[in-house]
Amino acid sequence: MKEAPSNPEQVVPVLQIADFLLVPIQIDLDDKTVGLLQEQLLKEIARTRAKAIILDVRMVEVIDSYISYTLSETAAMARLMGCRTILCGIRPPVALTLAQMGIALGELSIARDLEHALVLAQAP
Amino acid sequence: MDLEKLEAILASQSHEFDVVVRIAKEEDIAVARQMAKKLAQEMGFSLADTTKVATAVSELARNIYRYAQQGRIMLRKKEEGKSGPSMEIIAADQGPGIPDVELVLTKGYTTYERSLGIGLSGVKRLMDSFAIYSAPGRGTVVVAEKRRRRF
Ligand SMILES: Nc1ncnc2c1ncn2[C@@H]1O[C@H](COP(=O)(O)OP(=O)(O)O)[C@@H](O)[C@H]1O
Ligand SMILES: [Mg+2]
Repeated sequence: MKEAPSNPEQVVPVLQIADFLLVPIQIDLDDKTVGLLQEQLLKEIARTRAKAIILDVRMVEVIDSYISYTLSETAAMARLMGCRTILCGIRPPVALTLAQMGIALGELSIARDLEHALVLAQAP
Repeated sequence: MDLEKLEAILASQSHEFDVVVRIAKEEDIAVARQMAKKLAQEMGFSLADTTKVATAVSELARNIYRYAQQGRIMLRKKEEGKSGPSMEIIAADQGPGIPDVELVLTKGYTTYERSLGIGLSGVKRLMDSFAIYSAPGRGTVVVAEKRRRRF
């Protein structure tokens, strides 16, 4: 496991494991950060030609409609680049809130936990 | 009447509330959401309800920033009532107003190019009560309330 080289535009650490990327999101996703996150992820996918990217949102306390929209849009773009986006670690209160609002996050594969995400990432 | 209610809320003073966040910059959206979370925690809301409150405030603050450029998020504890304490959330702006309130409450309706159109209908579902007062040229006020539940 090696950490990709850092640069000032990075808002999250990106770990490259074999042919996929693991991204722990441990910051508050304000609107500006969400935009930068999308940019960074797409750059990393293009650079590494990863076949899957795992977004670990265990530390994210709020996922609202704009964050949802941007994550879905990022996943749609990644898919067009041949990369699957897997979301893992959605907190129960966040899941409850998303479900009540009617947000399905259909563009993303949802994993129960990191272990499950790793299995999905390695699926053919 | 709705217009009177709108004007009254737009004229309300900051000292009538526990928390007032001015929304004028993009960063203010995250500030409002943090303040809402803090007040919900102080009031003893469950983790699930704290998350719902913070998410609702995030949606309302973003609408102010996007569609009215500026306005206020105002939060207050309400202790009265047989249903126990609750938090009142008011989003008020003097922006363009909403011509058809029913229409914007339709899930998926948006006038923004990159959006789900699920903010207002989502807030309505997350809260115990919800009302919009709006007049074109005058502004928009959303009043929502969340009761504290213990479980
Ligand atoms: N404060 C406001 N002032 C004027 N128009 C608003 C306001 N809030 C919402 N709207 C209108 O209602 C529509 C739906 O809002 P919302 O449900 O939050 O979805 P979204 O923000 O994704 O479009 C917006 O696209 C906008 O046209
Ligand atoms: Mg909105």
